[in-house]
Formats: sequence, C-alpha cells, structure tokens
Amino acid sequence: MYFCPIRNQYLHPPSQPTVTNSHERPSPPLEQLSPVRASSTRVPHNIVIVPQSHSSDDALTKIEALFETIVDAISVGSPITIPYRRSTNAQVFDPTASASNPRDGRHMDSVRFPGRNPQELRRFEALFRIIEISHEALLSGTLVTKRNIYYQNMELFRSQSAVDEMVDNLAFTLGVGRNDLNIVATAKGLVAGQVELIMRGGSKINCAESSDSGVLLPSISAVEKIDFQSVKWLLVIEKEATFRTLSASRYYTVSRAGSGILVTGKGYPDLATRKFLATIHSVRPRLLMFALVDFDPHGISVLRTYQYSSQRLDHEERTKVFGLRWLGIRSSDVLSNTVMTQDCSANSQGSQSSQDLSSQESIAYSVDAFEHERPAKRPRSRRTKSHPSDYTAPLTERDREKAVSVLRDICGTTRLDAAEREHKLELQRMLMLNIKAEIQAVDDFGDITNWLDKRLLEHSRDVNYIYRYSA
Amino acid sequence: MVRIHKSTSKQYLTLHTVDQAHPTEIFSLAPTPNALISASGSSHLLVHSTTTSPTFPLTQTLSNAHRLGCHHITTARGGPGNTFVSVGFGGDTKVWHRNPETDQWALHWTLPTPDNKKEKGDVWAVALSADEGYLAATTSDGRIHVWDVLGKAKIQTYETGASAGGGGGGGGQGSVGTGSFAMAVDLSRDGKFTASGHENGGVYVFNNDAGRMVYSLSGLAKPIRAVAFSPGCKRLAAAGNAGIIAIYDMQHGEHVANLSATGTRPAWITSIDWNDTGEYLLSGSLDGKVRVWDVARGVCVATHSETESALWCVRWLPKSEKTLAPGMGKGEMFVAAGANRSLTFYREATGS
Repeated sequence: MYFCPIRNQYLHPPSQPTVTNSHERPSPPLEQLSPVRASSTRVPHNIVIVPQSHSSDDALTKIEALFETIVDAISVGSPITIPYRRSTNAQVFDPTASASNPRDGRHMDSVRFPGRNPQELRRFEALFRIIEISHEALLSGTLVTKRNIYYQNMELFRSQSAVDEMVDNLAFTLGVGRNDLNIVATAKGLVAGQVELIMRGGSKINCAESSDSGVLLPSISAVEKIDFQSVKWLLVIEKEATFRTLSASRYYTVSRAGSGILVTGKGYPDLATRKFLATIHSVRPRLLMFALVDFDPHGISVLRTYQYSSQRLDHEERTKVFGLRWLGIRSSDVLSNTVMTQDCSANSQGSQSSQDLSSQESIAYSVDAFEHERPAKRPRSRRTKSHPSDYTAPLTERDREKAVSVLRDICGTTRLDAAEREHKLELQRMLMLNIKAEIQAVDDFGDITNWLDKRLLEHSRDVNYIYRYSA
Repeated sequence: MVRIHKSTSKQYLTLHTVDQAHPTEIFSLAPTPNALISASGSSHLLVHSTTTSPTFPLTQTLSNAHRLGCHHITTARGGPGNTFVSVGFGGDTKVWHRNPETDQWALHWTLPTPDNKKEKGDVWAVALSADEGYLAATTSDGRIHVWDVLGKAKIQTYETGASAGGGGGGGGQGSVGTGSFAMAVDLSRDGKFTASGHENGGVYVFNNDAGRMVYSLSGLAKPIRAVAFSPGCKRLAAAGNAGIIAIYDMQHGEHVANLSATGTRPAWITSIDWNDTGEYLLSGSLDGKVRVWDVARGVCVATHSETESALWCVRWLPKSEKTLAPGMGKGEMFVAAGANRSLTFYREATGS
C-alpha cells in the first residue's frame, strides 16, 4: 500500500512490471504472461485486432516506379524529375512562396536535376536521399524517425523542420501516408490505462504499469492487437501536467465512471497520437472518447486538431476523430456561479421574478441527480466556488487574434455540424467575456477528479448525443 | 400572457417574447423610434417592428452581415433612427442607412481596416452621436476612434495607453503604448463628451471640442462592460464585472453614487441603459436578471428574469405616441436578450 496525496488515501501498488517494447523497431518475439493483479480478480480480455494498412506496399511500389523513371532518364541522358507537391498548397496558395524568385522551383510541381539554380540542386539531393532512406526502411521492414534522417546529413538537410516538411510533402505527392514510407516521428504522446497493446512481433505493452508518467504512445502501425479489457471511456488531455496528475493517482482505475484510458498529446497532437486515437475509434466505435482542454483559443484549436486534423496533414488517412466529445472546459464550467447555462433546450419555464431588495444571491454549486444514485466513495469537499474571476484571466491581444482566427476557420465551411456550432459559440462567449481559464478553474484544491467523475457519468448516460457530420 | 410582478414602486409586465428570434445567442440590441435591431452569433441581423403590433413581428433580415457573428450594434439615442452601426467578431464595422420611403435598411459603408501595423486592435464597441453624424469606435488595444459618418473619414483618435495621460492628438497616429482593452463607449447626447470603459477598470471621459481626456474616473477595479451618459448629459453610469453601477457627475468628474443589489457577490453586469427621462437605469447581468434602478433614490425598483441564462443586452424602447394595440397602456417598454436567443419585451403597468 502506498499513500496517494491526490486521493488522500492508500492505494494498491501497481502489478509486476512487464518488459516494454521499444516503439520504433519491433524486437524479437518475447512471450510474457499477463501479470497477476494484486486484487486477484480475473480481468476480462477484450482483444481487438488492429487492421493493418497495406499501403506501405503501395508506397514501395510507387517509390520503385519512381526509381525506374529516374534510371530511364539517366540512360537516355535527359534531366531527372521527381514530382513534388506541397500539401499546404493544395488549398491555399502560399503567399511567401510567390514572393521569391518564381524560377527557384519552390512552388513548381516537381524538382529537377540538373536544377535551375543551386537551391533546386540541394532540394533534389535532399529529396532523393529521403526517398532512398524510405526505400531501405520499407525493404528491411524497419521504421526510421524523421530525427534520424536529419542527423544522417545535417548539412544537406539544414534543419529538422525542412526534413519534416519534405517528408510530408513527399507522402502527399505519392498519395500515401507518412507512416507508409516507414518514416515516423519520435513519439510524443503518452497513454495510461487498463489496456494492453500487443505489438507485431509478440511483445506486449501494459499501459497501466508505469504509475505517473504513462507509456509513450507507439506508432499504431507497430500494434497488432489491443486488449481493451473493461475500459469504458477514453480521455484525451491537452496538458501533460494534468495527465501526469491523473495517471499518478490511477484515475483510470478509480474513476466512478469505470475503467478508462488517459491519453495526452502534450498540446497540439502529433500524427502518431492522432492516428492512434482514430484507429481506436474505428475498431471500437462504441468506446466513448472525450477531450479535456483549457478554456482558451488554443484549447479549442487543439480540440479541433484532434477532430478535424491540420491543414498540412489533411491528406493523411485516419487521423480525424470526429466522434471526440468535448468534455470541458467550457464557459458554463467557469461561470457556474453566475449561472451561464447552456440553454439549448430553451423552453422558458415562465417568468421568475424575485423580490428585489430582499433577493438573496444564491451561490450555485449545483447538486446533480447522479450523486444520489451511487454513494460517493470519497469525501467530497463542498467548497463553494467563490467567484469566477478568481480562476479566470483576461485574454491577451494574441489570444483574441487566435480566437478570431479559429472563428474564421470554423466559419469558412458552409455547413457547420453540431460540434462546430459549439466551438463557435464558446469562442464568441470567450471574446465577449474576454476571459480564459485553465483546467485548474474546476478543480477542488488541485483535485479535478470530482468534476471529471461527474462529467464522465453525465456523458455516459447521455446516449442520445448525436453529432451530425458535415457533408 | 400577462404576468404582473410586484415591486416596491414600479410594476412591469412581461409583454411578449419573440422566442428563438435568433439561432444562437443574442449579443446586442439597438432600438430606433419604430424598430429594434438585434445581433447574434449568427451572421444575420434582424429588424423587428416595435410600434405596429404587440407581437413585434420581424420586418427585415439582413443576411450575412457579419460572417463570424456580430457582437455590437448601436443607434443614436434620441436620434432619428435612420442609421445604425454593427461590428462583427472579425472587427468588420458597417454603417447602415434606412430608406425612409421603403423603411428598408441597406449597407451604406464599411469602415476601412487600418493598414498601419501599429494599430492592431480590432474594433469592439461603438456609439453614435445623437445627430448620427459621428461614430465612436473602441479597439481592443484601448484606443477610441471618432469617425465622421457622412464624410467617411476618421477625425480623432483618443489614446488611453500608459503614456497617454491627458493626451490624445487630433488624428494622432498611435505609437503610444497599448492601453487596456476598451470594452465600452458612449457619446453624450449634446455631443460634448465621449466616455470609454476598459478591461483594467478604467473609465475615461474626453471632451470632444477640446479633443482631449478630461476625467479619469476611479471606483470600479474590475473590467468595465458598459458606460452610458444620462440623457441630460450630467451623469455617466459605468458597470461591469464588479456587479455594481457607479454613477459619476460630469461637472466635476466625481463619483457620486453606487447602485448595487444585495447579496455577497453580484453577477457581472453586461449592459446598462438610461431611460428617456434620466430617472431610471436598466441593467442586465450574466445571471439572467434585468433590473430597473431609481437613480435618485439609489435603489432597485424591479427585478425580472425569464431564465437563468446570461443576458447580454438590455435597452429601453423610445417612448412612442401611440399604443401597440387598442386598449393597451402607453407605459414605457424595455427589451432584454441574451443566451436564450429570445427577445423579451416588458412594459410598465400604468393606470392610463
């Protein structure tokens, strides 16, 4: 038994540690028995096979076809062309590109050798090198990180972001996903929960084994099966600090909403995190997935990145999780005292007038009906929220600009689905009130679990939560 | 349906509610002598008639006025009702004119966005002078611009930044330090003063003839959401997150009164409005309550709320000569709107 300061109680120690696999290269098969759990109740197994995308074969074919055209060009003595299109240019013409010399090949649809100028020569060499590396990786069945590529020839590639961009554009040009080139990013996302990932090659990752830091999310293409056991929900958290706090107190086990999974992308999620979540959603569509972000323009932007992906990676398949539900933080959470209710079903009960001078301003700490259904197992500190402004901060000029920018993004599409209407409304309210709030705004002296329990339970019961997707 | 609410000296009836007038939250209202213009998070502006029928029918929809939604609209208090100005969430500011023959509104002019990189702040609050000739527009970086509406030219910029002090040149280019977000603005009916309320709790009054700041008013430490000159131009009311209304005297810039409801922490006030006689102040707050205040006595004489959802704007309707329907009283009317997307009209119950 160990004492958890967050929970203010003693908890069971985690089970025997299992050997975790390095997420980049599948190691030789290692059979592990499921660890015996301290509580010794048999946990049901709920194994789902992750569909393998065969588009890496597709990528290999395309690269080899490209090599063929290059060999042909050499043998004939004509200039070599590598097709190269920018994923960001697909929608919006990049204004900075047009500012430069139009003959430098930056916004052309291909890169040629011999080039028109030294810049194109360098680009050709860099691009060719990347294609080479990818080809090798595909043939040997290994995964290469973008970081790895950069360090192979730092002088040629010049910067990590140049490599990142080239890899994405190459994938876009070939019409495949980045993973299909066997090029991955260094893992950034974290996962914690009562779930086991069975990797290709046999090893297993138990996501409940590391108490406070969770487990680095592996590339989904390396995962063969997932054992969901008895998880009922998955929560994506914007901030790493919040993730760690919840993970350390094993919230995924002790939550009143049942067993669950915690994931964080540490802010804006990388491709691997998004793909992971999207895959989970596709193999387990009934698993409720929620997002917990700050009430500020960046929080909503992060949320939208999970739901609608980013412009640069829009071409990547299976990265969008439309069904991700916005758990919080919203304006109603922050202003519960001044009663800013979501009046979606605004059937006014009739005018309520109060006696003016003797009216008591009631501080509303709403007692919801769910409390009465299951007795609270933890002591609940009935601390009344003093006032919203204690937990909120004013928006900065940059915040406001960001909010308007996200609003423009949302209003750019003609038809908005229900989720986007919510984003729009919350952003407008944010601008009207000129406030932002972090997750700390809803916690109880640092303990967010009561609020989380409540919200998760509410949503679990609300089976009629319908999202209408735009065309 | 008529409900009577008792209070100490004033009785108001809920006259009518235009339910779900807008598809999303209503952020601002602007009355003219015969109509009410309303703006919401959706891109359309709506015009409802306020003198022809007790059902306040919709008479015009201005579609796609502001793509990102609209947060402020204003008409000239005590003015002819031929002009209104609207501001969208993208900072797009539009001036609309009414055709007196057709009684239809049309876009007259869109304010140019500043290409000067130093003037980055988006337009937020707007106010029109009584003769509809001048427009005051505040920005998120604490400036107040004054425009000549007919001439379509900017004639003045007031600064409230750190080094602004009592300054503010005619047509000054802002390289002064950015000021606090100016959330509210008003022009006095006699054209003499402009007032602004800011995020840092500051309330400033500028003399338009002299072109400079004359008062820096203290008293409310929290963000100011609304400022309003009394019709007689002798008083200025300011309110916001502090949840109380501060009254200032314009002759000397003194803080002369506070209006506050009982209770420990009053809700944030989003909107205030003086009635035509200057005797009563209307206030709307985030807890959904609209209050009528007797300014001279310093007390609240009526409180109403349709729901608990936030009110974003409350406005008196200009007194009209005729009744809405035969047999109805001619009591003063006001309207409240907000998160419940509906326009709720109230009328004073008078004997006549």
